[in-house]
Amino acid sequence: MTINWYLIVSAMIFTIGAGGVLIRRNPLVILLCLELMLNAGNLALIGFSRMWGNGDGQIFALVVLVVAACEVAIGLGIIVALYRRRLPVDVDELIELRG
Amino acid sequence: MTIHLSIILWLPLAFGLVALVAPGRLARWISLLGALLVLAYTITLLADYDHAAGGLQYVTDVLWIRSLGIHYALAVSGLNLVLLATTSVVFTASAIWSLVAQPDGLRPGLYALLMGLAQSAVLGAFMAQDLALFVIFFDLMLVPFYFLIVIWGGPDRTSAVLRLFLYTLVGSLLMLVGAITTGVLAAHDGEPSFLLADLAKTPLGSSAQGWIFLGFALAFLIKMPAFPFHGWMPGGYSNMPIAVLAVFTAILSKVAAYGFLQIALPLFPDAAVRYQELIMIVAVASILYGSAMAFTVTSARLILGYSSIAQLGFIVLGIFAFDNRGADGALLQATNHAIVAGALIFVVAMLAARSGGSEEITDMGGIAKGAPAFAAVFLVLSFALLAMPGTANFIAEFMILLGTFESKLVYALIASIGVALAAFYALRLYVTSMHHRVGAKVKSFELTGREALVIVPLLLIVIALAIFPQFSLSPAEDGTSQALRATQQAQSAQTLAAARADRGTR
Amino acid sequence: MSLPLSAWLVLAFPLAGTLTIALLGKKLSPRAAGTIGTAAIGIAFIFAVITLVKLQQLPVDQRVVTSSLADLINVAGLKVQLGIYVDPLSTFMILIVAGVSTLIHLYSAGYMQTDQGYVRYFAYLNFFVFSMLLLVLAGNLVLLIVGWAFVGAASYMLISYWYRRDTAAAAGIKAFVINVIGDISLVLGTLFIFKTMGVVDYTQLFAGVHSAFAKDEPELVIGMLLILVGAFAKSAQIPFHTWLPDAMEGPTPVSALIHAATMVTAGVYLIGRLHTLFEWAPTAAAVGAIVGALTLLIAGSIGLVMTDLKRVIAYSTMSQIGYMIMGVSAAAYVGGFFHLMTHAFFKALLFMAAGSIISAMAGNQSLNNMSGFRKAMPFTFACFLAGGFALSAFPLFSGFFSKDTLLFEVGARGGWYMALYVAGYIGAAFTVLYTWRMIFRAFWGKPCEQATVLEQTGHSFHYPEHTNPHTGNEDDPSTQEVEDTEVGFPGAVHKIAEQTWQMRAAMIPLAVLAVIAGVVQLPFGLTNVLSDFLQPTFADTIVAYHPKNPGLETFGLILSSVIVFVFLTAAYIVWVRRPGSSSAIQARLQPLHTLFANKWYFDDLNSALIVRPVVWIGRWAKDSFERIVVYGAFIGGTSGLVKAGSAAVRAIQNGLLRSYVAVVVGGLSVVLLYFLVRGL
Repeated sequence: MTINWYLIVSAMIFTIGAGGVLIRRNPLVILLCLELMLNAGNLALIGFSRMWGNGDGQIFALVVLVVAACEVAIGLGIIVALYRRRLPVDVDELIELRG
Repeated sequence: MTIHLSIILWLPLAFGLVALVAPGRLARWISLLGALLVLAYTITLLADYDHAAGGLQYVTDVLWIRSLGIHYALAVSGLNLVLLATTSVVFTASAIWSLVAQPDGLRPGLYALLMGLAQSAVLGAFMAQDLALFVIFFDLMLVPFYFLIVIWGGPDRTSAVLRLFLYTLVGSLLMLVGAITTGVLAAHDGEPSFLLADLAKTPLGSSAQGWIFLGFALAFLIKMPAFPFHGWMPGGYSNMPIAVLAVFTAILSKVAAYGFLQIALPLFPDAAVRYQELIMIVAVASILYGSAMAFTVTSARLILGYSSIAQLGFIVLGIFAFDNRGADGALLQATNHAIVAGALIFVVAMLAARSGGSEEITDMGGIAKGAPAFAAVFLVLSFALLAMPGTANFIAEFMILLGTFESKLVYALIASIGVALAAFYALRLYVTSMHHRVGAKVKSFELTGREALVIVPLLLIVIALAIFPQFSLSPAEDGTSQALRATQQAQSAQTLAAARADRGTR
Repeated sequence: MSLPLSAWLVLAFPLAGTLTIALLGKKLSPRAAGTIGTAAIGIAFIFAVITLVKLQQLPVDQRVVTSSLADLINVAGLKVQLGIYVDPLSTFMILIVAGVSTLIHLYSAGYMQTDQGYVRYFAYLNFFVFSMLLLVLAGNLVLLIVGWAFVGAASYMLISYWYRRDTAAAAGIKAFVINVIGDISLVLGTLFIFKTMGVVDYTQLFAGVHSAFAKDEPELVIGMLLILVGAFAKSAQIPFHTWLPDAMEGPTPVSALIHAATMVTAGVYLIGRLHTLFEWAPTAAAVGAIVGALTLLIAGSIGLVMTDLKRVIAYSTMSQIGYMIMGVSAAAYVGGFFHLMTHAFFKALLFMAAGSIISAMAGNQSLNNMSGFRKAMPFTFACFLAGGFALSAFPLFSGFFSKDTLLFEVGARGGWYMALYVAGYIGAAFTVLYTWRMIFRAFWGKPCEQATVLEQTGHSFHYPEHTNPHTGNEDDPSTQEVEDTEVGFPGAVHKIAEQTWQMRAAMIPLAVLAVIAGVVQLPFGLTNVLSDFLQPTFADTIVAYHPKNPGLETFGLILSSVIVFVFLTAAYIVWVRRPGSSSAIQARLQPLHTLFANKWYFDDLNSALIVRPVVWIGRWAKDSFERIVVYGAFIGGTSGLVKAGSAAVRAIQNGLLRSYVAVVVGGLSVVLLYFLVRGL
């Protein structure tokens, strides 16, 4: 089995994730889609790792997992804080940082 | 006793740092102590400098960045000797003023640090013998003033500082580009050196010199400021705290004038000759325009601001006459104007204290009543400002006009109109504030001891310079003849070439 | 004591007096300030006499002594010494300056007694005399310019002495600015000469001018013309004279000082000092002579119609200085300086007497209000008469001999100088008329209210409020601005000569001198004290020095006497015997009167040609240029560029998270596509 199929699946998941980030307005869903994109990347990394018979890619994937966990923790924290303050949970209305 | 220029250079900054961590009121005392120490050190320098030998003395030269050929090179010459002392005097006066007149100012520690940084930067720009080092110090001067205006400035400080920054940044960038190009073009076998002495040995090609010179000239003219690059001046002057403004108007403009003599003329002689007329036109325009504005505006500060434009015009005129007498006069004028203008800025504050806080001359009047000593001090300073014969300013302008007379008669004649206008605006300032009937808000009182502490030493220096102008002229002679040599050679070469071409066509 | 030392001490004492009075300030009692001030000048006069004695002991051909304290400038081929130049001419001048000034100080000590600013006044006064002495003794052109400008500054301070008066402050500025224009012109003239000769020292200038320049070379002529403008500005010659009448804003003794001893004579001295150069540039000298002649006519004509007592005397000064400028420019050196000397005596005397009358009038200066002071003020009257006889060149009085010597020397040159000679005698007629108009109106006729009060009570008259005579209608104090008397002004007690010994002590010697000073230089070589004394200074003259022509001299003396008698009689008829006939004459010559009364429109001309354009340019610079070009184009341009750039950047920062993502994704896609396309 060539690496192509792994990459195709990875690309599809990444595209779905990216599309979700672009079109959804709920931050929770955006966070989920981000997770999809990260995991698509992981899949590709592991696929390449296997192709070269080399562990580097897997180590990279582990690092990405750790980063993703941190990111989710912060992201969810922000979303909870938004709920607490009764702010709209909608990224299009959270535009305080506009220049 | 050996004198290390690095000590003079970094002493103000060191004391500023100490003042930053020192508690409250002590900070100003530490700042003053630092200024006094630097003053003492420069006076030692004045006494110790070997006038007979001339040239560069107390040279410090360390290769700083090898790959770029940038040296940490400092030296004292006839050009900067007196200017260094002047700088120390004005900074000391400013430190005394902020101690006695603004005892309850905000964050004295930070203020002391910034003033220390400013003094170090100015001293560095005066002493630097390396082009890159000069550019660094020249740009560094702006940083403390940015904060000094933003934190302690007047009501309109934001837009003032923005303008000041934009203007000077344009000049600085052009100068930076020019400096880098100079270093790269002048490099020997890929071995660049930014030492002024090295750069002067291998002048650039005539065309490259042209635009680099213009870049430097623009930077200096903006800093002075000269007409028509003075757009930052009204806002900037109106919004600086008095002690800061005194330093700014007295010293920073002189760094720019000094830059012409130290950098622009020796390094780019051909271009200097080519653009002589252009710069002289700017100088004469500054003289006339500054004078015309000075007798139109009503704010005492701005009268001084515009008069500075005119006075700096004279300095530039003297330098670009390419005549030793003109340049000697310009240096004398730089010293004298620094002291006089600095002192007059303090006088403005004293006037404001007597007229209900207003600096508009229309709100003043009759202040001389009950303040004869103050009136006398102010009158003598006004005479010094308007180039009354008998003051150093007169001798300076006499020599500047003499230098210009020899080379460019017309410019000298037009510039002399500026002298007449100076009499009018200086007297207008004096008469409207001190004479006439007492203004509505005016409550006059005699010169206080604290005010006298600042103004009397400056006055004595003005008088001493008037009686003994040789103090500045005699070291200047050596310095300016070095600075002008390349330009004068270029000038005679061009004249010769023109004459030859003329003969050829015939 | 050596000669240079005594000359330096002449300078040192007034300076020391200035500094002592200024530094001690309010700690000094007014009486002490007056004493110190007078003593300083008096001692200077004594040293001037010692200098004279020492100078006369030297052989005739060595009567030039120079001395230098230090180098003022010595750089790049320019050498200026802090040095003095003592020769008969400068000694002559310091004697007059110090001598007359001492008497004026003494007079002031009485006259200004009740003024608030008495101490300040004497500091200024001493400084004024110091400046004039410096100007006279200076050993080179640069130091001369220094003294020259100091004189201008001192005159400014004294004219604006009552500084709360708006009119006084304005007059001070006017005097100062016109003087500065003169200074600059003098500087430029010096530069012109320096450019060719490379020296500023008198000794070298006089020795080198003949080899450095060809006779009447344009370069030299331009330089000398510029120097002449300086002399005109200081000596109030047309068209630079407009400050002088306004200078009457100062206290009356100051007017005496400006007009008699210091300041206005500086121009005459300068031309005499530089006579070697002027003679080598005859065109410039001719311009000087013509301007002097015009001034003496124009000023004399204005003097005829002025109604302010001090202004009449002021225009008379202008006219007499016109004689001197004309004289020294036409190489009538003995006459010029002779007239300078006698004029110093009688003009100081006239101002002192006028001050006494103005005091008696309680500050009112208008001739229209004065009359009949003859009996009320006999001493003042006698002094005024002595001065008046001398001024109008009444035979055997000092002015008679000096004016005739001057005109004779001018006439003796023949040629076109005869036109100047004629102008001088026309001016003499004017002089007689305005002098006696003044005397007859003030002292003859029915005593005015002030004179009656003084005569009956022995106290001078007072208005309830002190008013500024230079505002409103000069004849009617109720229309004038009320003075801010806190700052000074001869206070409640007005001092008149009859009641103040200092004033009398100052006036008596001057009155005597005004009468007899002519003996030093009598016609037909009867006495030659002055011409012999000045001869060493003018030894190098290329024109005949004090020529001999008894025929012309006799003619002049007779003509002069006839003019005096005819016009004195006419004045007597018009103003005493048939009062009212003057207004009839005025009505008949209305256009002429208007021209004279408006001072030949010089003030308006200056205003239209110089002041207004300059002010207009200033206003234009401020209101239009600064706003449109500097703020609009430069600042607006720069900040506009920055603003446009930042607006573009800001548009991207819309705060929409998804648009940021879209940009990132889009950008990433473009990069990927690029590599894909390149890979293919």
